[in-house]
Amino acid sequence: MSDFKNRNIECIMAILKEKSPATTKELLALTDKFPDLCIGCSSGGDVIMAGKELVEQGLVERNWTSKGYSWKLINDTV
Amino acid sequence: MVVWSKIRRDFPVLNQLYEGKNLIYFDSACMALKPVQVWEAMEYYYKYLGACGGAGRSTHSLGQETSMLTEEARVNMASFINATSPNEIIWTRNATEGLNIVAATIPLNKEENVVTTTLEHHSGMLPFYKRCQETGSEMRLVQAGKDGTLDPAEFEKQIDDKTKIVSFVHSSNLTGTIAPLEEVVEIAHNHGALVVSDEAQYAPHNKLDVKKIDVDFSVLSIHKACGPTGVGVLYGKYDLLEELDMFLVGGDVIEDVVYKDGKIFPKYLPPPHKFEAGLQNYGGMMGAGAAVEYLQKIGMDNVHRREQVFSRKLLEGILELEKFEVLGPLDYKQRAALVSFRPKSGSVNHNDITEYFNEMIPNHKILMRSGNMCVHPFQYQIGLNPGKGEGIVRASLYIYNTMNEIEIFLTELENFAKLID
Repeated sequence: MSDFKNRNIECIMAILKEKSPATTKELLALTDKFPDLCIGCSSGGDVIMAGKELVEQGLVERNWTSKGYSWKLINDTV
Repeated sequence: MVVWSKIRRDFPVLNQLYEGKNLIYFDSACMALKPVQVWEAMEYYYKYLGACGGAGRSTHSLGQETSMLTEEARVNMASFINATSPNEIIWTRNATEGLNIVAATIPLNKEENVVTTTLEHHSGMLPFYKRCQETGSEMRLVQAGKDGTLDPAEFEKQIDDKTKIVSFVHSSNLTGTIAPLEEVVEIAHNHGALVVSDEAQYAPHNKLDVKKIDVDFSVLSIHKACGPTGVGVLYGKYDLLEELDMFLVGGDVIEDVVYKDGKIFPKYLPPPHKFEAGLQNYGGMMGAGAAVEYLQKIGMDNVHRREQVFSRKLLEGILELEKFEVLGPLDYKQRAALVSFRPKSGSVNHNDITEYFNEMIPNHKILMRSGNMCVHPFQYQIGLNPGKGEGIVRASLYIYNTMNEIEIFLTELENFAKLID
């Protein structure tokens, strides 16, 4: 896995350790707090891709709400 | 008469179930799908030739055929945009590289200025911004209208006798706006300025006639025109290409490098070869030639007419829902076959919308792009804040899409609108 992706995975974990669950909008708003981890275009696509990886790994859960997707940390051992 | 259902069958990507669902591909403004004819042309090279081609390289049979086929591809490309000669066609990696070549090599001094617009893709703006930073030249920005239209009168205000070059997008990848290229070329030429047009979005969907428009340079991305990735084209009027310095030097650009008295004296080839340094993407060039030949067989007028019908349906269908804000002109005749939109409430992040359509629609995956489309300045201009994660969703169409797909999408978008705040 690339360093780029690894850092964004750490970015999502760091955000969700502070606020879980969080909508995508909330999550991307918090990327400012972790500028060294949350990298890529400001549109947030890279962060979302990393988030999907965490869902596949079973560490994060993603559910649809009326405000978009809600991300929830279910295992913070990483 | 074009049998569009037959055209669609040329695209195997669409004839599969992906994760058990039918694909509706609405992301052609980023990347067009490839017909069988294109990858067969490339397969021929890799399977049966695989050799060096180009100036001064291998003259054996495989090399000779490689050179011949890549030059045929250059002829196809010249015909596609109606260039005067194939020697005006330079192969690049993409449109971005073409714009960088022009920006980096055009003679420019600090008394001169460069004109571009707020609607540019970053690739059309940043190479010139960087060059102006280096030379101390002024970069002037024509502000697009709030609806994404470009007014020739605004160009009149910015272009003067000190303008060296005007760089602008013929068809916007964000708003779909079709720019008044011919009028701007005339304004620029009246002041002795050159024009480079970004045709990445226009040329795959419309008949482009560089000779008639009298544009000085144009750039194309072949991957948006059914061709392979990693291939682009820089068109330039031959006399201007002769004047430009090279962007890269090395093998293939050389007639000779003389060594005399402890020094070297390079003698460069004329255009287009002087701009094509190093071993080239021969398979990609052949694929590119096949792609534009494929489009020309369909007929670019036919492509445009069909897309206008689809564009109208898509645009009016989204506007009817009232829950979404559409970027760009509201008259379908003023725009390309793409619509960028976002919820008026701003309640749902743009990435969530594309994810929803990718994953949550029964029986279909509707594939669109979300983000800022590399056009941040215009979004800041109209009050969006890309730096704070605000963006849009873009649905973009091409020759393989159907009216049925647009109807499915609009139905699902209506359903989606009921699910969000």
